Amino acid sequence: MGMTSPLDTTSPVDMTLDEAATEAAVLRLYRQIFAVLAREAGAMIMDAGLIDVDEAILEAFAEAGSDGLTAAEAVAACPQFDAVTIERRFGLLRDYRAISKVVDRKNEQHYRAAFAPYVMLLFLRRLTERGGQSELHQLLTLEHLNVTKPDAVAADGQASVARMTKIFRLLANELASLVQRGAAEALRENAQLLWGNRSLITQAEEAHATVLTRWPELATDCALLRISLAAYGDAIESAAGRLLEQAGTTRALGLLPAETWLSFARGSGPQTLATVLDGFVFDAPAPWFSAQALAEAVESARQAGGIRLRPPRPENPEPADPAGIVPADDAADLRSSAERLLAAAEASRDNSEDPDGERVSVADVLSGAGDWATCRRLLAEMTAIHHHPDLGYELIWSDGLRIDPERSPSWTTEGWFARKDR
Amino acid sequence: MNAHETALHQTALWWARIRAAGPQLVDADGPTPPGLMRLAEPGGSRVWLTTVLPGGAGPAVLDELDLPRPVLEQPNDTARVLAAVLKSCWLDPSGPLWPGATAPFGQIVATFEALTGHDEVVSHRAVVAAVRRLSWSGWLLWDEQTRTVRLGPRVATWAATELSTLRELWRSIPVPDKAAVRDTETEMDGDTS
Repeated sequence: MGMTSPLDTTSPVDMTLDEAATEAAVLRLYRQIFAVLAREAGAMIMDAGLIDVDEAILEAFAEAGSDGLTAAEAVAACPQFDAVTIERRFGLLRDYRAISKVVDRKNEQHYRAAFAPYVMLLFLRRLTERGGQSELHQLLTLEHLNVTKPDAVAADGQASVARMTKIFRLLANELASLVQRGAAEALRENAQLLWGNRSLITQAEEAHATVLTRWPELATDCALLRISLAAYGDAIESAAGRLLEQAGTTRALGLLPAETWLSFARGSGPQTLATVLDGFVFDAPAPWFSAQALAEAVESARQAGGIRLRPPRPENPEPADPAGIVPADDAADLRSSAERLLAAAEASRDNSEDPDGERVSVADVLSGAGDWATCRRLLAEMTAIHHHPDLGYELIWSDGLRIDPERSPSWTTEGWFARKDR
Repeated sequence: MNAHETALHQTALWWARIRAAGPQLVDADGPTPPGLMRLAEPGGSRVWLTTVLPGGAGPAVLDELDLPRPVLEQPNDTARVLAAVLKSCWLDPSGPLWPGATAPFGQIVATFEALTGHDEVVSHRAVVAAVRRLSWSGWLLWDEQTRTVRLGPRVATWAATELSTLRELWRSIPVPDKAAVRDTETEMDGDTS
């Protein structure tokens, strides 16, 4: 098992005192900055009004001068907010070290404020008011200044280009994913990413040109910047296209923010308002049939009529009576055939072997039949009569074999077709 | 008030009339204000005036905006009867819908029967009700005396793009058996106003 300490990631053991001090200072600054956004220790504010409270407190500190303020004085200096709120924010700012004791000793009541939280607050205000556009512009201007400074080196240029690449990549990614997957409403809410951003690209391109001419060895980094700029440009194009398309086909009047509609409705005269609906007739005073509706109605009728129904069946299908099931019976037919055979034998009696007409020689029957097909049929009939359970006839075979080449059939097995003895 | 304003005024008045009472039958020698469509009655002495709706501004927009349409009883059967009338009165589907031919009531019923597979009694009742609704809203014209039906002026408001769908529909509707076309003796129950 490896012996890596869990502390490795959080506090490197080989950190020098200087480094630790620097890191602590940076952390302290971060904490101060974000104090204005903290609702309570460890959580973000849920109410934008709290920022106003913070601003009032920090302004009170600015008024107070180098002596600082006590909590009670801060409450008194901010009469527009109630005391409980001020005290709570005051405590919070203190927890985040955005305000600290003037002299670090017990029972010290006077506090002084750090300036970073106020700067952050101003920055946040601007960001919320203008969507960060002008900050972005200023950042780009600063980057440009950075790379044009006479004492700037290639590393500065590289860092600057890398920062700009990241900014534009983030912007382009956000916009592109909105265009591809987001609803039109989400795109509209983020439309400030779209407004007037050509100049951002122009600014970045200027900085890019400066870097490229000063440090030609940074060509690779510059190419990355160009790619991210182009991606951003494409994302703007497709987002604008999507918004236009939505507006064109759905008449989604919600594409503009509600405030815009309100101010338009309030600030326009009747003439201007009327022009909005120029060319629109939404009215259908009488029932209206579109060709499509007709076709659909006809189609549905056809489907309804075209369903094949099962033939009607009895309500309670009862199983058929087993006694009623009788196999097809040919007993009568067979009986008449048997009688006919026996009668024929009697009529053509020229032998005295059957004095009662009770039996007939199979060989005689077959030889009298004439051809093979009839012989076969007669034989089959006699066999069937013999096997029929209800008929009293039998077919008795014996060992003799009658052969006569002149006759047809030329040989026959000796046997008798006879009435059974009852 | 100059001439242009007068014309606008006239158009607005006519639109209001047609909005309230459907397509209007007027004498053929009157003027046709701009924004209106002129449909000549057979005989030539009278014309129907109805509104020309701009494309994309017709009642189809109601569906698009998810707004309610005028309520229609039995919408499907009514649409089927209109389709049956279309089949019977639009003799040449390559030509225009208006004015179309006149078809006896029995033929409409027979076409409807062939279309839906309903039996005669059900069909007759459905067609009577639908003809009443459709003639009220100007989709077809019902002549009480001759007991005949023909297409109403409102069919002319179907856009050219919809005509191709209607032609397909026309071809798909079966022609009723000649024997099935009865000159039904039964009266149209109720008035057809």
